[in-house]
Amino acid sequence: MTTSLVGASVPRTDGEAKVTGRAVYGVDYSEVGMLHARLLRSSVAAGRIAKLDTTHAIGMPGVHGVFTSADAPTCRAGWVIKEQHLFAHDVLRYEGEPIAGVVADTREQATAACAALEIEIEPIAPVADITSALDEGARLVHPEWEAYEPAGPADHPRRDNIACEVISDPDPDALLQAFAEAHTVVEDTYVAPRQYQAYLEPKSAVASFREGRYTVHTAHQFPFNVRDRVAQCLDVRPSSVRVLGHHIGGGFGGKLDTALEPYAALFAKLTGRPVKLVNDREEDILTCPSRENAIVRIRTALAQDGTVLARELECLMDHGAYSGEMPWLASVPMHVLGQVYRTGAARVTTTLVYTNTAPTGAFRGVGGTYLYFALEQHMDSCARALEMDRRAFRLHNLIAGGDQSLTGQTLDDAGLLREAFERMEEAAPWAEGPAESETNGALRGRGIAALTWMTNPMPGSATLKLNEDGTLGLITAATDNGTGAVTMGITQIAADALGLQPDDVVLLMPDTDAAGYDAGSQGSRTTHIVGRATATAANEVRDKVLELAARLLEADIADLELTEGHVVVTGASDRRIPLAQVAATATFSSGPIIGSGSYATQAPSFNPGCATGLLFPVFPTPTYHVHLAEVEVDPVTGRVTVTRYVVVQEVGRAINPAGVRGQIQGGVAQGLGYALYESLESDDGRYRERTLETYRLPLACDIPEVEIVLMEHPDAEGPHGAKGVAEPPIIPVAAAVATAVADAIGRPITRLPIRPDDVLAALAE
Amino acid sequence: MRLTLTVNGAEALIEVAPHSTLLNVLRDELVLTGTKEGCDEGECGACTVLVDGEAVDACLLVALSVDGAEIETVEGLTSEEGTLSALQEAFITAGGVQCGFCTPGLLMTLTALLRENPSPSNDEIREAISGNICRCTGYAQIIEAVGSVARQENGR
Ligand code: FES
Ligand code: FES
Repeated sequence: MTTSLVGASVPRTDGEAKVTGRAVYGVDYSEVGMLHARLLRSSVAAGRIAKLDTTHAIGMPGVHGVFTSADAPTCRAGWVIKEQHLFAHDVLRYEGEPIAGVVADTREQATAACAALEIEIEPIAPVADITSALDEGARLVHPEWEAYEPAGPADHPRRDNIACEVISDPDPDALLQAFAEAHTVVEDTYVAPRQYQAYLEPKSAVASFREGRYTVHTAHQFPFNVRDRVAQCLDVRPSSVRVLGHHIGGGFGGKLDTALEPYAALFAKLTGRPVKLVNDREEDILTCPSRENAIVRIRTALAQDGTVLARELECLMDHGAYSGEMPWLASVPMHVLGQVYRTGAARVTTTLVYTNTAPTGAFRGVGGTYLYFALEQHMDSCARALEMDRRAFRLHNLIAGGDQSLTGQTLDDAGLLREAFERMEEAAPWAEGPAESETNGALRGRGIAALTWMTNPMPGSATLKLNEDGTLGLITAATDNGTGAVTMGITQIAADALGLQPDDVVLLMPDTDAAGYDAGSQGSRTTHIVGRATATAANEVRDKVLELAARLLEADIADLELTEGHVVVTGASDRRIPLAQVAATATFSSGPIIGSGSYATQAPSFNPGCATGLLFPVFPTPTYHVHLAEVEVDPVTGRVTVTRYVVVQEVGRAINPAGVRGQIQGGVAQGLGYALYESLESDDGRYRERTLETYRLPLACDIPEVEIVLMEHPDAEGPHGAKGVAEPPIIPVAAAVATAVADAIGRPITRLPIRPDDVLAALAE
Repeated sequence: MRLTLTVNGAEALIEVAPHSTLLNVLRDELVLTGTKEGCDEGECGACTVLVDGEAVDACLLVALSVDGAEIETVEGLTSEEGTLSALQEAFITAGGVQCGFCTPGLLMTLTALLRENPSPSNDEIREAISGNICRCTGYAQIIEAVGSVARQENGR
């Protein structure tokens, strides 16, 4: 009897392709007869195109075409709101916005011709930041906003420079009364930076147009979204576009919407040749939908015993110049505020604000990163005001199993939060405080932060076909952006069900023509959703195999097991038949054995009257987490070193513990980057950081080895009980580190990242 | 212009433009796409190859400046029979690979390190890869992979 693959740390199946250099990434893909394109992008944050002369560029060596808004469909496109043309029409709204494209034989020629385009831009004073966009009389980024249509059936509240607004104020009287009667009222404001996903593979696309259809090759987290957006941009039906996926050099949310794909497709049609477009790193930084910068204000009414009586949260998010998926993310503050600590009466207002900056979007953990930073810093601030222990204050207000979130979703398992605090207590007893410093004069501090997060519920599917040689073909549009969700999780689930090894599973790279719809690698959904669909498909294959094998072995189905590539009669190991033989027999008698599965999480019930503008009202399949950070602060240089980091994470069931560890270690590293180094700053709407040198990413010497405690409470719906794993570990890191630094220096931290100068300034106060 | 290189043991004669980088030559002329381009500015380390045994950023080197040199790329780490190097194996088993885009560069940097220092400390490993960005892994399992190779070597 072989041991189960589920729960085993088996290596990823694409490991060998990746360590030998044989894995083909998006940027590596090419076709015979392929041309190369470059885009002319806006050099200003706001302006008007006064003149665009393409004559000279068209005559340059190797040039096949120069294309502008006159060559593109007139329709507008967008994920949530249809606002955007492929090329700017007259008005420029952010630096990097595409104006024209050049297609040539080589990339060098395309670059040279792009530089030869004669363009005159009249700059306009940009609406550079959230605050000035909301000023009375501020210039509108989109004066024509009312004409924009929603992409889906329903619109959401928006007006002027406000791209979306969510307001929840279910009981204003109770709120007023709580603040009036409070023993103490605490109010804080926090500021968070813009964070660039900085995946190592820049965005690219190769497209062709043949027989009336577009084919797009791209290393993308969400191929079906590419299909839909390319179709929308080029005004054709979705099935006129086929999207093929390749190995993805990281995504982290930055590759969920289209970037270059519609341009490559348009150019392919206009030139009649396959066309490749690749971002250079500067273009990638300038145009990537980074995590939005934001301002968060929280106000709390406290009773003398430390009970939170009421809480108010206002969140202003920088939307950038156009909407990607941001209107959905406006729901996040409501979730965050009520799903870890009890709030009493609550009011939440979230405002997405248009500015003349690059459109913002999803980055692993979305707004949760700064909202939990703000919430946990504010929790410390409340504890200080009451002179209570910080951990005790948290436990006093912690939600419990069966409590409701602010959207009215019942959190049945929220008791796991308290358990996570207890597990953390075993790993790092609170009373011990931070470990002794080895560095003379260093200030030491410790921070703790808790988290409830969801598993994205959106649909996915898998088809399994048993090949005549006994291997298993896996067809799914789920993407493995590096997490191992497909090449470990799903593969293990499929192989395990049929007594195979992971290498016996032959994975088809995503192909929207072949696979059913899949909502992409986002919100930790792949193992949970597509794993479940795969388990269903595998059971169908298994049932068919066992039925035939029972006849071939003249045995009872109930006595059969699948192991080591064979069907075996339990207890009679000489009565066995290779899976290949069963497969071949089936194929040539009744037809090939195929199984399929589809799944989407059924939305938990909520209170539809709880807010206006809420596009994303529930947090399905929640998981519970506690993080602890220990830091040392050098009082002379202001430098912060994270000396210890502990994660307690509830995962449902770890399908691959080494893979889970990789997600936690990697997520924490990104969180430390966000907490301490990373920030896209802008001067008048133009980013200051334009290279991977000036945009400071965490390096090997910055990241401690994370201590990990896993809690397993299998989910009834998830495959083998698995819930989402990969997104949450980044989220509470800034919260834990900032509370630790504040503890070390005895001053609150109100702004991310926590840079040496800010620490020194705080110490000097 | 004419360029002669020995790439993974095989001689290559290539016509190149004067400004072509070694990275362009490897990826575009020799179609050795295992070496990656993450920035083209010497900042990410994804393009690291060995030039006469030394780890360098191929995107920063004008190809003609290394005329006659011996180049090793990720494609050359595997033996002719297809056996992976101990370091390649260790990257897979220790979980040092996620998206894998940084992997070729890291493998080359670390291959050079292990030749020079067969049992590096964790700090020496961290120092050696300070020019290689990995956005996915948080580095711990990469450092472990190197450590496990060093232990194997020492056990021999
Ligand atoms: S591509 Fe050479 S260092 Fe980044
Ligand atoms: S594994 Fe993705 S950058 Fe290192």
